[in-house]
Amino acid sequence: MKILVIEDERGLRENITSYLNVDGNICESCNALTPALQKLSDYDYDCILLDIGLPDGEGFGVLEYLSSSQKNEAVLIISARNSLDDKLKGLNIGADDYLTKPFHLAELKARLMAIHRRKAFNTGNKLVFNEISIDMQGRTVEINQTPITLTRKEYDMLLYFIANKGKVISKNAIAEHLWGDEMDMYDSFDFIYTHIKNLRKKILEAGGKDYLQSIYGMGYKFTD
Amino acid sequence: MKLSQHYTRTSVYISLTVLVIGAVIYYFAISYIGKQQLDRALQQQLTEAEEYIRSNKGDPQQYDLDRDHAVFVKTNAQLPFTRRFFDTTYFNPKEQKREAGRAVEDLVKLGESNYKVVITVSRTDQKHLIELISVITLALLVGLLAVLFVTNKYMLNGLWKPFQLTLNEIKQFNIADVDQFQGKPSKVDEFTELNEAIREMSLRVNHDYLSLKQFTENASHEMMTPLAVVTTKLDTLIQDETLSAAQLGQIADIYSSVNKSSRLNQSLLLLSKLENKMVNEEEVISVEKVIETKIFQFHELLQNKEITIEHTLTPRQIKASKYLVDILLNNLFSNAIRHNVPGGRVLIDLTVNQLSVKNTGTAIALNTQQIFERFQKGKDSQGTGLGLTLVKNICQLYGYSIQYEYEPGWHKFVVTF
Repeated sequence: MKILVIEDERGLRENITSYLNVDGNICESCNALTPALQKLSDYDYDCILLDIGLPDGEGFGVLEYLSSSQKNEAVLIISARNSLDDKLKGLNIGADDYLTKPFHLAELKARLMAIHRRKAFNTGNKLVFNEISIDMQGRTVEINQTPITLTRKEYDMLLYFIANKGKVISKNAIAEHLWGDEMDMYDSFDFIYTHIKNLRKKILEAGGKDYLQSIYGMGYKFTD
Repeated sequence: MKLSQHYTRTSVYISLTVLVIGAVIYYFAISYIGKQQLDRALQQQLTEAEEYIRSNKGDPQQYDLDRDHAVFVKTNAQLPFTRRFFDTTYFNPKEQKREAGRAVEDLVKLGESNYKVVITVSRTDQKHLIELISVITLALLVGLLAVLFVTNKYMLNGLWKPFQLTLNEIKQFNIADVDQFQGKPSKVDEFTELNEAIREMSLRVNHDYLSLKQFTENASHEMMTPLAVVTTKLDTLIQDETLSAAQLGQIADIYSSVNKSSRLNQSLLLLSKLENKMVNEEEVISVEKVIETKIFQFHELLQNKEITIEHTLTPRQIKASKYLVDILLNNLFSNAIRHNVPGGRVLIDLTVNQLSVKNTGTAIALNTQQIFERFQKGKDSQGTGLGLTLVKNICQLYGYSIQYEYEPGWHKFVVTF
């Protein structure tokens, strides 16, 4: 997957790039609107990470450029502005998703994978990971052709882990993914453990491997 | 008391005093002048009488035989005699009654004998004149006071009208509205000046307020990017497999703190948006459905604390922002759960008029004055301290009222639509 990161904050740009640069992904970056438009006219990308507040203009310019040149890149907006207006504006003129700063890299990657899957293969597609096969449309999971029943949260969690395989994911990031803003983190840590335990049990019972590794005091890692 | 009343009262008192003193002085002055005039007339008559007597050399009483105004009496008094004027009464033969008069007494020499002469004239005409003048003066006085009173009452009120208009505008002044103080133009310089001063002041206040608002917003936004950097750096850091459990523990604490500051920041931003009425998107929302979704969302939390939830929901639709209704309910629900006791209860009651969320909890009532204030929270609370402030401001935005009630062992929040 070819990704372009348009973000002016150096620290953020570097971390995002290095986090995404795995599994054969090619991640490029630029720090302003003008070089971004230049890159977009020269190359094709699968996904674009777009910051709205850029030093030489609003990131909406990228969306306008994409729609005027009929390009089909998936766009994920990352913005410090949490206003609904910006969100709606971005989504209306062609962005696929909107993520508010601060965010976790795991969340960013999961969202990016999700919009990429939607764009690239439409919807009736299956996500296969070793013996695990996920039907994205029917939201069903099979392990070695044996269907298993997952709760909504377990299903979300499995997708989240697969998107971030090989990475340590903090409990904070998992909690935020599963419950969003509704709950304070400290409320939800206990539940994460329960959900992980159930998910692992269901995979193991259906003959899958134990991919979920617990990192003491921090979180979990989904390893191959 | 109103300014016009003050003014009327003072001006009536002063006018009354001045006029009464003036009237008294006027009365005495006129009386004095009248007397002077009578005395001059008497003196004239006296001179005439003396001349008459000197030329006739007979009985002096021949000058006035019917003795109606001049009386001569032979006397032993010698010259020099002091001429004397005095008030008296006399019989007017024409009118056939006694009347007030003015008289002069003097000594007249006729041959060897001295005669005392008393000449009297009527004072009635003069008295009438003074009476008439007094009545006219009094009428004028009453008239003047009446005119003064009416003028003050109606004309002053008219004069103060621009002031009232300005005052009304000031009362309706809302700091968030830009440039809304107009000030009706007035012909009176003072009011024009007042309007100008207020207008300038309101513009300055608006400007300061706007820049402060902008500052709050910008500061909050600017804070989000460094927070994002910290979060992503931590996300990258924990990939390091050589980290010890203790180090990971430290990182977990940093995560929590960063998370808390970003929540705080978001709440502050939302608060400033609410205070500036910048949330506009409204839609029709079925409250009972949103509540059902919320109960489902919170069911893990409820189960964890073994809290039972009971609800009676009457369908009720409101027009509001879905996002804000979500925040409102999230805060009420999570408070009801967080500040509950293990095995406690939550009762949710939605009627057409109100929504009440009632939970078991500590046996101490919360401070009604403070709970809705910013950063007021229980000492064990992990929240931002902005939850109930958000609830209050959301309610205010839509004209709902929010109340806290305590019944022994139960805490209840009521939103009245």
